[in-house]
Amino acid sequence: MSTASEPRQSSGTPSNPVQHGRPSRWRGRTVRIQRQRLAYVLLAPLALFIGVLTLYPTAVTTVEAFFRVDALDPHHGFIGLRNFRNAFAQPAVTESFVNTVFYCLVGTILSTLLGLWFALLLRRRSRWRAALLAIVILPWALPPVVEALLWSRIYDPQFGPLNWLLKGIGVIHTNQVWLGSNRWLALTLTELVQVWQMTPLSVLLILAALQLIPNELYEAAAVDGASLWYSFRYITLPLLRPGITVAMVAAITTTLNVFDQPYILSGNATATASVGLETYVVSFQNLDFGQGYALSLLVTIATAAASLVIMRLVYRRVEF
Amino acid sequence: MIVLLWSLFPLYWGLNTSLMSTGAADSVPLRLYPHPLYGANYADLLSLKQSGFSGLASQLQKALLNSTIESVGSTLLTVVVAIFSAYAFARLEFRFKRLILVTTIATLLLPAYATLLPLYKIMSGWGLVNTYLGVILVNASGFIPLAVWVLYNYFTGLPRELEEAALVDGASPLGTLWRIILPLSVPGIAAAAAITFLFSWAQFLFPLIMTTDLGSQPATVTIAALYGPRLVAFSVMAAAGMLAIAIPGALSLLLNRYIVTGLTAGSNR
Repeated sequence: MSTASEPRQSSGTPSNPVQHGRPSRWRGRTVRIQRQRLAYVLLAPLALFIGVLTLYPTAVTTVEAFFRVDALDPHHGFIGLRNFRNAFAQPAVTESFVNTVFYCLVGTILSTLLGLWFALLLRRRSRWRAALLAIVILPWALPPVVEALLWSRIYDPQFGPLNWLLKGIGVIHTNQVWLGSNRWLALTLTELVQVWQMTPLSVLLILAALQLIPNELYEAAAVDGASLWYSFRYITLPLLRPGITVAMVAAITTTLNVFDQPYILSGNATATASVGLETYVVSFQNLDFGQGYALSLLVTIATAAASLVIMRLVYRRVEF
Repeated sequence: MIVLLWSLFPLYWGLNTSLMSTGAADSVPLRLYPHPLYGANYADLLSLKQSGFSGLASQLQKALLNSTIESVGSTLLTVVVAIFSAYAFARLEFRFKRLILVTTIATLLLPAYATLLPLYKIMSGWGLVNTYLGVILVNASGFIPLAVWVLYNYFTGLPRELEEAALVDGASPLGTLWRIILPLSVPGIAAAAAITFLFSWAQFLFPLIMTTDLGSQPATVTIAALYGPRLVAFSVMAAAGMLAIAIPGALSLLLNRYIVTGLTAGSNR
């Protein structure tokens, strides 16, 4: 991030009056203070949105998770971890945590690998690359609700092309009920719909990092007789770390908060419900906001923690 | 080829199903292209007369109108707020600049659930449940940080010479923003606006709790409600789905260059 500033604008300490200021310096100072005021005026709407509609609600979620909150009874009392205990007393909530971890693992791994693969395929400059990229980003640009609707047809036991394709190549002999029989299969297929939606972003982020790698590195490696695999392993991958980190953080945030795909594909079914879906059920169907706050807080913490872990593990600063 | 097949097949299959009558769509063996070609699903959904699907057409039309109003509103609000903030971050020096910028960007990592229930309570307290304004405010609060980041990256990449010349000539900082930065930043603004529009159009969870009737319900919520009970024939649902992705799809194909640069801006810092 560039914070380069001209000397004229360098931030002084306005609370500390300049005692020996010549007129010209005074003029400089008024301009600077006016600029400060202008900056705060320009930032006021941002501050309102972030403060009132983002940070304040986040604080409310954090605090209320430890209080009794009842839509009908305005009494609030501190109850420690009881909201969490009550939430986890329901098997559906416990299951939803298992499901969400599974979604996150499968989704992050698949979207990163596919993203890397597609980015390598799209790396070569050609006349078609711009058109290809336009098509590649389509799944990212469309509403997940409609995408899940379309995929539900692909998995349809009677008229779905998945059964047709797998029977055609002889993998299965009778039609399968893809989303209703095996829980892990249903989870994987539900996550696949989300992977389809978010892979384009991984492709773009990794491709952007790929294009920063100077060609000379590969030329030098080729002169030294390095194999393709060797230059991928020791040049491409290490230099892609920043791009891969951003892609993985985006994937983790998206998968831990998955809602639309399981909601459309299986409704409230416990077998595939995510924590987000359970938060919705607990808050707006059971009307227990206290437990809703508790679950919201856990998702938020999990998202932040997982993102930080990935940044620590994968990110390395690279310089060319 | 693999990339194309992976990206387009689900969309193609939806289009294929939507262009067949229910009888043809629900028949074995599967038809890989629509035959006989059947346009009545679309004609019925788009017709202004009440059709056979118990008001389904008028519901979808109203929902698409709601989506359009809410997405355009969210985009305008987000982009205007983001332009002012990004200019302040990129060109002005003030105390706590870094702190405010980092806080803004850090909120990108906050999931929707961090604010879900309190925002619902705030909006119902303000009487904004089931209104366009409520949806627009919630959308904008979620999308402003990314728009600020995209525009901040764009503004910091512009040369300063022109602005400095204008300042020496007595232009005000806002004058340089209006007359110099904005005309040069059309691609950056297009990127921020397109991304915000697509996000707004795709929103589901927040509108699901914030809108309970067709007065303000966007197409995502209406389609989920229509599909939920599995009563509407799939070929009709597919046509409704294709109508709901037509606008974001066209926008994404049209502005893809800006979207790509906007999404990757600053990702390698």
